[in-house]
Amino acid sequence: MVHMNIARKIKTLLQEAELYHSQGLLDEAMVKYNNATEIIQSNEKIKSRQNLIDNISKKILALKGDIIKIEKAPKKPEVSAKVQDLIKKMFSFSPDKDDDAKALDGAIALAKFGQFKRAILEFNELLKKDSLRVVAAKSMLRCHMALSSVNEAVAQYEQWLSDDIFSTNQLDKLRVFFESILTKEGIEKTLPRRKTPADNIESEMEMVGVDGVQVKVPEIEDYETLDINSIGITMDSGPQEGQVVEFKVRFQLGNVVSLLLPGRDKDLIENFKAGDVFNDIQYYSTVALFNASGIVTSVKEIKVGPRRGDYCVDIEVELN
Amino acid sequence: MAIFKLKKREIECKIVYYGPGRCGKTTNMEYIFKAYKKQVIGEMISVDTEGDRTLFFDFLPMGLGTIKDFDIKVQVYTVPGQVQYRSTRKLVLKGVDGVIFVSDSLAVRREKNMLSLKDLQHNLKEYGISIFKIPLVMQHNKRDLAGQDVPVMSVEQMERDLNRQLKVPSFPASAITGEGVGATLKECLKLTLLSFKKQIKSG
Repeated sequence: MVHMNIARKIKTLLQEAELYHSQGLLDEAMVKYNNATEIIQSNEKIKSRQNLIDNISKKILALKGDIIKIEKAPKKPEVSAKVQDLIKKMFSFSPDKDDDAKALDGAIALAKFGQFKRAILEFNELLKKDSLRVVAAKSMLRCHMALSSVNEAVAQYEQWLSDDIFSTNQLDKLRVFFESILTKEGIEKTLPRRKTPADNIESEMEMVGVDGVQVKVPEIEDYETLDINSIGITMDSGPQEGQVVEFKVRFQLGNVVSLLLPGRDKDLIENFKAGDVFNDIQYYSTVALFNASGIVTSVKEIKVGPRRGDYCVDIEVELN
Repeated sequence: MAIFKLKKREIECKIVYYGPGRCGKTTNMEYIFKAYKKQVIGEMISVDTEGDRTLFFDFLPMGLGTIKDFDIKVQVYTVPGQVQYRSTRKLVLKGVDGVIFVSDSLAVRREKNMLSLKDLQHNLKEYGISIFKIPLVMQHNKRDLAGQDVPVMSVEQMERDLNRQLKVPSFPASAITGEGVGATLKECLKLTLLSFKKQIKSG
């Protein structure tokens, strides 16, 4: 009688495993196969015990193969031009804006969906527009970095140095911005500058504050196109509880800003955990100051480069 | 957010199928694509990955005909259900007018259903939308599996788990056979259009 119950139990587990596998519920299928195997292994009286175990092992192997295929599949692969066109059209959310702003929105949407190569082409077209040139150039550099093509990004910047489409001030802005991205990636590189007589008397600090770029002031709802320089966060706990602590933004991709926190400041780092929401963050950009919430999307220790041991905290700006 | 094109006398709205991974959102859309040919006004676009998992979204454009001289166009989307695609789900949800939450009747997916509903609430909140106010319909999918030898939750249990507080219209369904698919979409469209009407009235 006990034997019958065990046989029925094993049969049920295997049926469940098969069904879950067919439904694409791979983890659930694995649990059931493992449960069945454990029962068979612990009951020596079961007939053809080894055969059963061998058969289940084969099924587990096939299942593991499926799991690996899914895990190895690219998370944001390049999709067809038709799908890219759809993304550009349907995720730009700019019904009342002019054509240039729509084009910028479309290119940003492509980048958000990981279509970086196409986004670079779109941003490149936008370099022709005075009002969008710097925003488009920064976005191009971000896309190159997202594609892990640092050399292309550097080559692109150097190309702009020799072109005459950017003013010296704009190039300086791009340089400071690009160097901060490189630093975040653990790459210490001094980028060349366009030489002008004025360069000799301008200090780096002044340069960061210069706002000579003729960027059209975006509406607040277009915050993803705003370059956020720094943010102020009211700390919930730790020695600075209740105080607004200001952080320099080291990198920005769309509406995600990255901060670098010194590794030695454990109390400060403790305040940031993935999934934490800060409801009242002050965002400072060159063209606007606004308050909004933000969610911590990742907290990672930097493992290589001069910033090794420091922490990179990504915060997604939530305007609504 | 519905778009009113006054010159073209057209109203565009967005319906999103939400739910845990492998619950049958894409299967719902595939059934609609096949069964409602008259209303479908373009091709269904799916962006999927290994194992037929939705990667970015599925998209289906529909036309519902005319209401008070306005052509009603509907963009139907599904989101990727897998947990790691949170930011994509949020992107797809932007500008949503009505939501269909598809839950999985398999008992092993009970917790995933609840987590996905919580994720929906969180993402809506980030766009300033209350889950209690948006036109929302629930579909308890895979009812066809109740006849097979696998643990399937009762509709009552699923209602207790997911709809006790929301109290939104809900439908048992089997997207693979089509049972309950049309009724779910129709109810969501009805609620969405009623919501527009209320918004217009309140100015």
